[in-house]
Amino acid sequence: MKYLPLVFRNLLRNKLRSLLTGGAIGLAMLLVCFFLTMPGGIDRLLSEISSNVRVSVHNKGGVVYDMPYAYVQRVRSIPGVAAVNGEVWFGGAFEEEAMVTFPSFALDPDAVQAMWPDYKIEPIALEKFRRQRDAAIVGRETMKKYGWRIGQQVSLVSTVWPVTLTFRIVGEIPNDRAPHFWIQREYLAQAMQAQDRDLDTVGTIWVRVDDPAMVPSVMARAVEMFRNSPAEVTAETEKSFFASFFGSLQAFVQIILVVTALVALCVLCIAANTASMAVRERSREIAVLRAIGFSRGVIFGTLVAESMVLATVAGGTGALLTYGFSALIRMLAGGSMGSNELGPLTGFLVTPGIVAQGIGLSIVVGLVAGIAPAWGAARRPVAEILREVF
Amino acid sequence: MSLPISYSVRNVRARLRRTSLTIAVIALAVIATAVFLALLSSLQRTIVSTGSPDNVVVLRKGSDNDGSSMLTLEAYQAIRYLDGIARDGEGQPLVSPEMVVQPTVRTTSGIRENVLVRGIEPMAFAVHDQVRIVAGRMFRPSSGEIVLGLGTVGRYEGAELGSIMPFGRGRWRVVGIMDAAGSSFESEIWADARELANDAHRPFPYSGVRLRFAPGADRAALMARIEDDPRYALEAKLETEYYAEQAKSSRSLYFLLVILAVPVGVAAGLGAANTMFAAVQARTVEIGTLRALGFSRATILRAFLLESLGVSMIGFVLGAIGTLLLAAVLGAVMGGIGFAAATFTTNVVTLRVSAGDLMAAFVFAATIGIVGGLLPAWRAASLRPVDALRKA
Amino acid sequence: MAEPLISLRDVSRVYRRGADDVHALEHVSLTIESGLFVALMGPSGSGKSTLLNLLSGIDRPSGGDVVVAGKRLNDLSEDELAHWRSRHIGLIFQFYNLIPVLSALENVELPLLLTSFDRRERLQRARTALDVVGLGARARHVPSELSGGEQQRVAIARAIVTDPDLIIADEPTGDLDAKNADQILRMLLELSHELQKTVVMVTHDPRASEWVDLVFHLEKGILKDTFAGAAGKDHVEPRGPAAGTPA
Repeated sequence: MKYLPLVFRNLLRNKLRSLLTGGAIGLAMLLVCFFLTMPGGIDRLLSEISSNVRVSVHNKGGVVYDMPYAYVQRVRSIPGVAAVNGEVWFGGAFEEEAMVTFPSFALDPDAVQAMWPDYKIEPIALEKFRRQRDAAIVGRETMKKYGWRIGQQVSLVSTVWPVTLTFRIVGEIPNDRAPHFWIQREYLAQAMQAQDRDLDTVGTIWVRVDDPAMVPSVMARAVEMFRNSPAEVTAETEKSFFASFFGSLQAFVQIILVVTALVALCVLCIAANTASMAVRERSREIAVLRAIGFSRGVIFGTLVAESMVLATVAGGTGALLTYGFSALIRMLAGGSMGSNELGPLTGFLVTPGIVAQGIGLSIVVGLVAGIAPAWGAARRPVAEILREVF
Repeated sequence: MSLPISYSVRNVRARLRRTSLTIAVIALAVIATAVFLALLSSLQRTIVSTGSPDNVVVLRKGSDNDGSSMLTLEAYQAIRYLDGIARDGEGQPLVSPEMVVQPTVRTTSGIRENVLVRGIEPMAFAVHDQVRIVAGRMFRPSSGEIVLGLGTVGRYEGAELGSIMPFGRGRWRVVGIMDAAGSSFESEIWADARELANDAHRPFPYSGVRLRFAPGADRAALMARIEDDPRYALEAKLETEYYAEQAKSSRSLYFLLVILAVPVGVAAGLGAANTMFAAVQARTVEIGTLRALGFSRATILRAFLLESLGVSMIGFVLGAIGTLLLAAVLGAVMGGIGFAAATFTTNVVTLRVSAGDLMAAFVFAATIGIVGGLLPAWRAASLRPVDALRKA
Repeated sequence: MAEPLISLRDVSRVYRRGADDVHALEHVSLTIESGLFVALMGPSGSGKSTLLNLLSGIDRPSGGDVVVAGKRLNDLSEDELAHWRSRHIGLIFQFYNLIPVLSALENVELPLLLTSFDRRERLQRARTALDVVGLGARARHVPSELSGGEQQRVAIARAIVTDPDLIIADEPTGDLDAKNADQILRMLLELSHELQKTVVMVTHDPRASEWVDLVFHLEKGILKDTFAGAAGKDHVEPRGPAAGTPA
């Protein structure tokens, strides 16, 4: 539009005010986008780590209840099952802390590749995991968190089993969002035997199904198989299983969204304030323009455009800065955040979609904020404005 | 000469309509941060208020919480009659053996959560004196009956007085409801210890023990005796310390609060600065006149700072009211807010805005007002009378 | 001269100020032929500015008819009036004429944005208008870099750039010193006599009556008196200190 230069010129008229307003809008929009990364964190975790052909079978009573180890082979026999791996919670923690900060499981090393080929673990690592009793495979998230390297020895005390064991890391799960610490079931079993105890239970039985279409029937068969037994089971897809862990985070996420909405409202008020200040101060000038013959529509349009340009530029910049900001937060938070119960919410991963939302929101805010003052300026009878000055 | 406070007050009042949007900005900033702060401090309060400084938690060495511990009957018997433990009217030691299990239950909205079910013996009520049955009655042993903490009522399927609630391998009848003074115990379900251990296929009937110090007992000595016993690998911790450690893991949530508060505060401050700059601009002649009359720079500075502070205080009042309203609405709509605590089970937290939260909000708003108003006030104070008057 | 350019018939204007009704104009009737340089004079509060606003369509009468260039302004809607003004009227005010963020040239170009001329045409016409008032060299300067007299000349340039029938000026010399005031008045006189434009000016500068063809004297909203100015229809040399020749 030919009026655009006028709009820009007006924004530069009071540089300080435009800067302050822009800064405020940019900061607030940065915050809105940052918080918007949180709800998406769960979905992303679920879609990245879970597979649609893996099913988890566990005790109907809950994850903390066990199943007899014999169940593993029985599940193996269900038609459609390509592989099984029985997992037992090790609950390893550093001796000094005695607090679990990453999930550790004892499982069957021979069935790792079959169960989790999508994890893309190096064949050499798998080989070592199979052959060395004290081997451990660790997810990259945990490796990075503690600065571990392959070949490193780690000693962990179990918070559920009366043992303290030392492991040698032989490989990693090459995914930044994988926190797992895997050890050999046999290693744990031997340690328990040394105390005259048998390891005859399993916590979760992972099942890999040949064909996604077979998943429902495999799940139904598994449940049926153990009905009326001492340990009835539930079977669900991997995604559903992980999702259940974060179900209670929903309420927290809702509050985050409420807070984000408040911040967005804040932005609106900041923009509206500036727009009305501008209109108030330029009322005579606007009257002159209307006297010359500019219609109310044009006046309205340029004023709204002014508000929109400022909000969009400032808000858009804030949205783009979210990339750097969240990287900074991730760096600072590092270890201290990973161990809390928010888990995937603290991934803070910014997607183009979120930035787009931020920009879109900025445009809308600029529009809405400018409407009321612009409407007032366009509507007031020119003569009235000209009359009131001195 | 000093300008009276009424100068600033009158100016704030005169400009009220124009500053209404800035006031709204500050109010919204206050609401956003105060509600979030209230959430976090409600969580902290719930956890930290749990436990008595006179109680001791005894667990297997190396377990970080109730749920992963186990205790033999012999160990329990060995602890019971140690010196330094309080006794009740009948001379029975105040030792509560407990079995903690964490089954998965379904909420009324279909979400699955892990609940802390504590298997107890009747002595538990004497040791945990925060807890009282306020509706129905205590369960009878070996009858499949349970009592619910207030926070669980209505949250889970079957969690009502008189209903049947399924978890673990069984179906349990709810016969009573307990109040625990807002502590974590209100998020728990209490059942008969042996019955629970059976249902969960536990090899031992108890996972841990809680006991109470006798008045004037040598606390350190008692705790040392428990821990040093070579027969059983046990560790003893003050109950308050035990819960304080759990509260620690939720402390990192405050990180998020800072991430929220700082940008919002700065943004609101910039907005306040904007308004004040406009005010200084509009009153250039007035300021010049005041300076010409002899008012010092410091006086002008202070007057404008006070004005900015005044605006932010109005913002605070509106924000405080808004916070209370929003917290009430959230509480009514969402009920208790679940946090999966370090114990792996869900802590049901009631969102409550405390005086401390409002105090923090006050400081927040005041800071916005003062810092935001500083540069404009500085500009006002730096005006030379001759320049200011010339602009007329 | 067939129809008079301007015709006011029994025009009144009442408006509210606070709790009172202000009778700015009471039953005023007058006509103005085209090509005249006219002054509306009177003490403050006499209604002359209100009358001016009615002539340009910025304001509406409470009673009576305002007919300009054959059009009854009462009949037009707000937007139609705005459009009509952009075609037929050039406006000059006492203060706040120019947009501070635009250069002199851009200010003069402003009314042309409402036309269908392309950019090249617009700038050419604007430049011509600026030359007429003798400020071609200052095209790029912003108002804050121009003196009061120069700002008013830019305002005049803007007023004529669309070649309107009627130029309306509200106290154009009110803020100027004697020398600049004479310069402006001379310019307005030349516009009216040499370019055949009708110029209606509100002023309380007593010198004005020496420059204009016709004076309408208002008092308390009533047209008290009408008399010829010193200029009549003939060009007369001004008395008093000589103003500089227009560039």
